[in-house]
Amino acid sequence: AGRPVTVASLLGEDKPETRIWRRISEILAKTAPGRFDLRIVANAALGGEKEVAEGIKLGSVQASLSTISALSGWVPEGQILDLPFLFRDRGHLKRVLAGPLGDELKAKYEAQGFVVLGFINYGARHLLAKEPITTPAGIKGKRIRVIQSPLHTELWSGFGAFPTPIPIPETYNALKSGVVDAMDLTKSAYVGFKLHEVVPWLIETGHIWATGVVYVSASFWKGLSAEDKAAFAAAAAEGAAHFDELIIADEEASMAKAKAEGGKVAQAEDRAGWEAGARKVWTSFAPKLGGMAKIEAIAATP
Amino acid sequence: MSLAARGPVPPALRRQSERGLVGVSAVLEWLGATVLGLLFTIVMLAVLRRYLFGAGLIWSDELAIWLNVALVALGMPLAATSALSMRLDVLVRLLPGAGQRLAAILADAVAVHGALVIAIGGASVAALVGGTSTVLGLPESLRFAAFAVGGGFTVLLLLWRAALDRSLAAALASLLIGAGFYLAAQGATGLSLGAPSLVAALAAGFGLLIGAPLPFALLAGVSLSGAFGGLLPEPAIVQNTVSGVSKFLLLAIPFFLLAGELLTAGGLAERLVRFAAALVGHWRAGLAQTALVASTLFSGASGSSVANAAFGAKVMAPALVARGYPPANAAAIVAGVSMIDNIIPPSIAFLILAAATNLSVGSLLVGGFVAGAVLVPALAIGIHLSVRGVVDEAPKATAAERGRSFVGALPAIGLGVVVVVGIRFGVVTVTEASALAVAYALVVCLALRSLDLAGVGRALRSSAGEAAAVGLLIGASAPFAFLLAVDRVSDQMAGLVTALGGGPYAVMLLANLVLLVAGLFLDIGAAILLLAPLMLPVAIAAGLDPIQFGVILVVNLMIHGLTPPLGILVYVVSGITRVPAASVFRAVLPLLAALLAALAVLCLGAAAWPSLPPSIKELF
Ligand code: NA
Ligand code: NA
Repeated sequence: AGRPVTVASLLGEDKPETRIWRRISEILAKTAPGRFDLRIVANAALGGEKEVAEGIKLGSVQASLSTISALSGWVPEGQILDLPFLFRDRGHLKRVLAGPLGDELKAKYEAQGFVVLGFINYGARHLLAKEPITTPAGIKGKRIRVIQSPLHTELWSGFGAFPTPIPIPETYNALKSGVVDAMDLTKSAYVGFKLHEVVPWLIETGHIWATGVVYVSASFWKGLSAEDKAAFAAAAAEGAAHFDELIIADEEASMAKAKAEGGKVAQAEDRAGWEAGARKVWTSFAPKLGGMAKIEAIAATP
Repeated sequence: MSLAARGPVPPALRRQSERGLVGVSAVLEWLGATVLGLLFTIVMLAVLRRYLFGAGLIWSDELAIWLNVALVALGMPLAATSALSMRLDVLVRLLPGAGQRLAAILADAVAVHGALVIAIGGASVAALVGGTSTVLGLPESLRFAAFAVGGGFTVLLLLWRAALDRSLAAALASLLIGAGFYLAAQGATGLSLGAPSLVAALAAGFGLLIGAPLPFALLAGVSLSGAFGGLLPEPAIVQNTVSGVSKFLLLAIPFFLLAGELLTAGGLAERLVRFAAALVGHWRAGLAQTALVASTLFSGASGSSVANAAFGAKVMAPALVARGYPPANAAAIVAGVSMIDNIIPPSIAFLILAAATNLSVGSLLVGGFVAGAVLVPALAIGIHLSVRGVVDEAPKATAAERGRSFVGALPAIGLGVVVVVGIRFGVVTVTEASALAVAYALVVCLALRSLDLAGVGRALRSSAGEAAAVGLLIGASAPFAFLLAVDRVSDQMAGLVTALGGGPYAVMLLANLVLLVAGLFLDIGAAILLLAPLMLPVAIAAGLDPIQFGVILVVNLMIHGLTPPLGILVYVVSGITRVPAASVFRAVLPLLAALLAALAVLCLGAAAWPSLPPSIKELF
């Protein structure tokens, strides 16, 4: 039945996170028949992103997707992709990653035992709140749920908000009961976690692009023949492109669902104010991420 | 025991050695108590800071999780050697003397194997995993190193205990056989079985039957599957175990255990009993009904049925016996009503379920209230019908007596109110509410002077030990669940549960039958962790509401606290009241029947739910 490949997915069968692997599996069935047996385990049954990354290092998981921020404990330099208001749009991000930065980061991941076969785009994070908070002035004094990341905390406290780290399973209730007033997330996950029921306003800030990787464990990769490596890498690249399409479609479907169930969308205002706050984060993280010149160069990339 | 008496150890050395072992255990207990105290302080600080200064502490959650890992690592050696070790001894007791001695040696060998996996596997994860916690700035390897040390101490204490209880030769035999199993698991047999999880289940089941501590039997089983084409390398076994413990939601477990301990030690629980007696003591079987009402009140503040059973066994059972109830019936009533604690929020079982499946804790807790509203009357009817011959009704309490007992019970009732209101009105998250419950119990008991600092220390020590034992079991189930997931057992489970078609009634019926059978052989926590992620997708596909299904799953499995062979609630009560477990199992049958009837009602309701018109659904 081919080499067993344990693949971990965080979400269910119908989500892009799992469908990418079904596609890769189909491609491999044609390009490397009988060589691989992908055991795709959905619904985070093999753990969250960090546990899966540990499993990839230890050889219990062979392949998965991960956001850049979940890997920042191993490769802190990756956080350059998480800098707020640095990337203008999907195209900008894609062009930057196709350049030297992409190769540089891949080498850093590989040194940690993560072989990156492609970058993926989960969409942009937007501000989610109980009211249309469109300006940085509006978020001042609000309690905002953040992921456990100094970068995110610094961004929101810079605007005068009170960032509170809360694990995702507790977030819905924390918002519903009022432990926190706001949060930020991608559109697809916003509706996936039914958060539009508790924070009906999505303010299109697009402040951070959630970048991720399609990656496999180094020990698995080393054991493959050159031919199998080529087939797997090609399938993964095609899968990554497919993932980005699926996310765009999923975002549209998600927002339609949110709208039908009472969700509302507002445009961000005072762009200059938002960006000024974000620049403070650039300055503070620049020493860890290769210097301000490197960040400015990305911003200047056409 | 007879062997120990004839053992070659000279009495003076033996006494010294016994003292040494007790000393090491006490040090570990005090360390655990300190870590638990620290854990409490950090979570409370984060809540206070958020209310006083707006922002929480970015590092508090992560640090709390790390401390919980340390708590489990410290308690692990005690969990292997104490009354908390979750050893099944029903079958071993049927063996002749020589058979019992052999089983004891083998059981310790299985435990040694499991502990070696943690010790050696933990060390290799610490060496391999790399990475730094971005919030704490500390290397991730520390968490695994703590487990490696805990595993090492476990081997030491296991063998020390074996040498004292049996003989040096027996301890040596356990070490050699355990190490032999461990080494055998490292080599590949070349035999690749289709389902490594089956090998793991058989090996763990064997360990369980001969009386090995359950968490270590699970670890040893998963480790042995490695020799048969298993898909989980040894370091990954430990990494999964530690990940299983590293969940923020699980922090509520030590806190709810500690709150229950303080509630009992500080006398607040007894005030609840007085109030309950004033309410229902004049009914037929009045004191038995009092036990039910007191347990229901207690469960509003406690999340642990084991704590509830222990409290009932200490406080209610002697009172029942004094009123003329046969001891077995008294014990059965206490055990039967204590299952309610994990149904009425707060509930550790729902926390474990939420951690295993990502179901919303808040919604599960609401579902728990609904289920409690069905189960409590069922238990009341069961008690009413089954307690014959004992006419114990007390004179009806006067309004003034009721008022006084209510005022006396207020501090304890207040605890439940603080927890529920705190969560409902967004003052705190579920985990923080559990810490708030501890703070409340602590302040009230110290203010009432019903508890001194030494008492607080004792409560910290015992709840740290219990929390470590529960945490270890949760952790040790994780690698097993990993194997089941990779083995595609979920597909087979789906096939089993949908054998009568995919409709809600058929799936509900088969799911309950599977749970009833599986629950006989699995601990409640382990059953939730292993079965819930497999069954939930099937239930959702059948159109059942996931929250309702989750609540029913927990109710079904909690009933197993009262069934042999692994009826944890019966064992706890039997241990404290010294009534043989077998007679408690017999005496609890009428309550079991009442609970099964209530379960059937809940299941029918949930199966009918998808086809109900929305106007009726809105009523709930
Ligand atoms: Na409870
Ligand atoms: Na999960």
